[in-house]
Amino acid sequence: MPAVPFDYYAPASLAEALALMREHGEDAKPLAGGQSLVPMLTLRLARPTAVIDLNSLTELRTARREDGMLRIGALVPHRALERGEGVLAGCPLLQEAAALIGNARVRALGTIGGSLAHADPAAELPAVAQALEGTVVLRGPEGERAVAARDFFVDVLTTALRPGELVVEVCLPIPAPRAGHAVEEFSRRAGDFGIVTAVAVVELSPAGDLTRVRVALGGVGTTPRRLPKVEAALTGMRPDGRALRDASEGAGDEIEPESDAHASAAYRRHLARVLTRRALGRAVDMAQRG
Amino acid sequence: MASRTAPPTTERLRVVGRPLSRHDAVDKVQARTLYAADWQMPGMLYGAVLRAPYPSARIRGVETAAAAALPGVAAVLVARDVPRNTLWTDVPGQTSEVGPLRARIQVLAEEVVRYQGEAVALVAAETPETAQRAAELIAVDYEPRPGIFDPEAALRPDAARVHDQGNLLAHWEIRRGDVEAALRSADAVVEQTYRCQFVDHAYLEPEAGVAWIDSDGVLVIRVSTQVIEHFRDVAEVLGLPQNRVRVVGPYVGGGFGGKEDVTVEVFLGLLAWRTQRPVKMTWSRQESLLARPKRHPFIMRYRTGATRDGRLVAQAVELLADSGAYAYLSALVLMYAAVTAAGPYRVPHVAVDARVAYTNNPPTSAMRGFGAMQMVFGYESQMDQLARRLGLDPVELRLRNALEKGDDLPVGQRLDTHVAVAETVRRAWEELGPHRPASSSRHRVGRGLACNIQPYGRIVWLRDWASAWVGFEMDGSVVVRTGVPDVGGGQASALCQIAAEVLGTDPAQVSIHIADSALTPLAGTTTATRQLYMSGNAVLKAASALRQQILEVAAQLLETPSSRLEMRDGAVTAGDARRVALPAVMKECARLGVARSHLAVYHAPAGEPVDLERGGGRVFPDYTFGAHAVEVEVDTETGAVRVLRHVACHDVGRAINPESVEGQIQGGAVMGLGYGLMEEVVVDRGVNLSTMFAAYLIPTSLDVPDVEPLILESGEGKGPFGARGIGEPPIAPPAAAVANAIEDAVGVRVTELPITPERVARALGLLGP
Amino acid sequence: MTEIAVAFTLNGRRQEVRTSAHRTLLELLRDILGAVDVKEGCGEGVCGACTVLLDGEPVSSCLILAPRAAGRQITTVRALGAGGTLHPLQEAFAAHGAVQCGFCTPGMILTAYALLRDHPRPTRDEIRRAIAGNLCRCTGYAKIVDAIASLAGSGTVRG
Repeated sequence: MPAVPFDYYAPASLAEALALMREHGEDAKPLAGGQSLVPMLTLRLARPTAVIDLNSLTELRTARREDGMLRIGALVPHRALERGEGVLAGCPLLQEAAALIGNARVRALGTIGGSLAHADPAAELPAVAQALEGTVVLRGPEGERAVAARDFFVDVLTTALRPGELVVEVCLPIPAPRAGHAVEEFSRRAGDFGIVTAVAVVELSPAGDLTRVRVALGGVGTTPRRLPKVEAALTGMRPDGRALRDASEGAGDEIEPESDAHASAAYRRHLARVLTRRALGRAVDMAQRG
Repeated sequence: MASRTAPPTTERLRVVGRPLSRHDAVDKVQARTLYAADWQMPGMLYGAVLRAPYPSARIRGVETAAAAALPGVAAVLVARDVPRNTLWTDVPGQTSEVGPLRARIQVLAEEVVRYQGEAVALVAAETPETAQRAAELIAVDYEPRPGIFDPEAALRPDAARVHDQGNLLAHWEIRRGDVEAALRSADAVVEQTYRCQFVDHAYLEPEAGVAWIDSDGVLVIRVSTQVIEHFRDVAEVLGLPQNRVRVVGPYVGGGFGGKEDVTVEVFLGLLAWRTQRPVKMTWSRQESLLARPKRHPFIMRYRTGATRDGRLVAQAVELLADSGAYAYLSALVLMYAAVTAAGPYRVPHVAVDARVAYTNNPPTSAMRGFGAMQMVFGYESQMDQLARRLGLDPVELRLRNALEKGDDLPVGQRLDTHVAVAETVRRAWEELGPHRPASSSRHRVGRGLACNIQPYGRIVWLRDWASAWVGFEMDGSVVVRTGVPDVGGGQASALCQIAAEVLGTDPAQVSIHIADSALTPLAGTTTATRQLYMSGNAVLKAASALRQQILEVAAQLLETPSSRLEMRDGAVTAGDARRVALPAVMKECARLGVARSHLAVYHAPAGEPVDLERGGGRVFPDYTFGAHAVEVEVDTETGAVRVLRHVACHDVGRAINPESVEGQIQGGAVMGLGYGLMEEVVVDRGVNLSTMFAAYLIPTSLDVPDVEPLILESGEGKGPFGARGIGEPPIAPPAAAVANAIEDAVGVRVTELPITPERVARALGLLGP
Repeated sequence: MTEIAVAFTLNGRRQEVRTSAHRTLLELLRDILGAVDVKEGCGEGVCGACTVLLDGEPVSSCLILAPRAAGRQITTVRALGAGGTLHPLQEAFAAHGAVQCGFCTPGMILTAYALLRDHPRPTRDEIRRAIAGNLCRCTGYAKIVDAIASLAGSGTVRG
């Protein structure tokens, strides 16, 4: 359907964009890749009076390495993540996750900032940001602040963004040399949002024990969830199949999924266990291969 | 990969039977084809529909003043503005009426809303955005009321009534022998209840059309439709003479039964007539998912009895379908289900009790397979379970009981053409070849088979007919005119092939005009797997008569009896190489006053309505038989099912265009896999939860394997050159074949569709008690 | 409501259009420029019927606001082939029975075009993966894959 008409702005600088956001308040929506926003507009579900197009802000479309971190501009498209362009090759977990997002057309235009700000509970990149313990950098009327990923996702489609704030950058630690990662997504059809997605990141000591375990799940609650008990159970352990299986059984206890038209809570819990084990298994294999 | 058997005929055909490229395909790859929504008229307005948000409600009042006052709004219509606010659904396109099947639907809801999405008001405005905004400004005062959302509950005596006459819409019974006695004395009885779901047609082209009043004052509606005869419905509603309404059918972007009932036609007619301006209406996908009639969900209770050595003795079937809020074609769908419920098997004792009930769920109507399709899940799941119970091979069990030519169906109809059940079962199963190993230790591989019977052509007491006009131009080029809508199955190009065969020319040289209710002879609906049978025969008849007319004239020119002449490559030739070019013959025809065209009507063999219960006799002209065999891999940890191989074998009588036949088989099979594995319109107390295309899961290229079509050509179909219909049959077997393969792989039986990973996981006990 | 002028290239020809900013590229192409070769199937970016190439990359035109088209190269299926001669990809689709109702075809061909341009020798699996975002309800995909596979290694699709 045609969208409800709005005023359109294409600010040339971040300062201008923020000024417009402040001016229009809640009636404004920022536009990045548009893959989530535009359908809401054309379904007439979202009715902003102003749309602030961020796509001229080329400074948000770059990625760089700094102090062991990957600093990814909010407007970097999924396709760049998928292809591991430039410094993005330094985080192959992003490549694996981005390749699972929607279809190729969505990945051509959808952005990392847009995905995180949209905060769909089933989305891949929020779970990755959690698993990597990344930081989301926001800029607003009061300046810049960084919010840890674990604090950024507040509820379904709701983040810690304050009025007038924009996501400008995502900071992800560059994985250690002996790190392993894996994304296990279960969907009912190719290219769909996962019913449940498990992201695992592990590091091994020279002796082969798990020194660091991070697991984040999408699709199991209102926001992506880390599994601190599973992580704690495995830290310091030898990563054999038995240990991974036993620890993964606990995944179901750390989440509170809901039933909906796509899957029941019981099934999501079950998938959480299975996918956690699979993701950990592959992550460990990868770390062991060095 | 795909293969055909040679047809058992001595005719050597030149064009029919060749896998030719379709003429419409060349236009479509260049995107030159103008679909319904691609049409523009000067001064065109845009139409929109306001739909009720409640599944059951009373309308206390409607305020349209604010909407009508919006600048740019040309018309706002509610029920009282509709001259005759009733749409009668008989059997679309038929001229003969069948009393119990007539059903009425309100064009715009007047006092009562019976389903979520029911149309309440119409708007026409200068822009699509204005039309939407105006629709949002219409204030409807609804009083939500309790509704009934379960067909079983709907049939209880105290149930809320959807319509005044009660919730039981139709009831068909079929009886043969004494089924209860047979079940009692059977060596094995398998009893199971199966459930199948609402699904959507999900054609890629949403409903659309443009209407205008032409310079002769005729209301023209150019609409994506399977039925151009709806001009009569539009005329009735508007109170216009039927000869003042014309429906034009462009190439359709998929129909599958969803464009068989009226969609936008009447709305467009109303708005165009009120405004006296052209009006375009296109439905959004979400509107289509919400408001279009769906496939009938069924509850099917089967009791199947057999002897120890695997001979079926009894089949007792109770069916309950959900008609949703309006009847549409429910009574007919139910009849197809009842007639085929026992499966393609010899069963001496049969009892079918089929009912369909009104609820406040979305209305249900035609969808590819039309009732006969859903039954396959029931009877083919039963066969495999019976095989297991008896310790028999599932293939062997089918072969032991397969119908053959000369057998009678439970309804009393004798099968008078080749019945290929046994062959298709054997061929499909063999074609699976060596077993594939599982891809990992957590996977299991299994195989399953399902065969089916699907009618083609209409119920015989509807006295179906189709007409076609074939003619030569003065230069010898050929024109075909027929009312056939082309929905993508190559309907039009098959007719070119037939005409070209008879008239000795190349199909690319045949010009065909289709689907114009004013200008092309009516051919009935593109539904019911009837078009190749009916219009194919009509074109065959017209072309054959035309050929004879022309040869008689050429015979005089060549002084040779017409029986010794051949029409070929733009000329008529005698055996001794004397020839006269067609343009010269046409000139001679003109000189003699002999027509260069022929209009033929093909009448399907008709019959009287049968008393189903007393086993009266012929119901359908004929049936198509087939079998699918699949190999699946089940992930025992998640319940996910992947189809590794899918072989689909059907006897098509004669493949007019083998490439089109393969395409129908592959496309139908994949639609059947979608039905079996992932598609569901989720309805919760009358509220449709599946109105986003992202949430209505049809298979993508990664969800299905290459379906391998095996074409058998028995040559005994009732269509042209012995063809049988193939549009619907391939959609039916996959769900059951997959369910059977899953049981083979992991030992669990899923009896509810779709077979989601969660259902498999539950059956495997992975989700606890 | 903002009215804007959008200048872009459509199939190699420069276009300049006045439109409201809230319209999508799909509406702009179909309703203003009459480029009805781009189809609307779902409005959600899911079905692929509205696929166009944006600076050579397949995108969903129903998910692009009109202003975003400014300065870009937009390619539809009409750019393939020239004056009645079919592009080999179009010929392959027609010859292999990959077209039934044809509604998914323009988007499917553009997606296939981009695939063959970037990966001239795709396997059948790679083809299936590449077209997974283009839904077809008629063919079951097999003949579409056949058509695209027939051009693998042919070098007929160049950037």
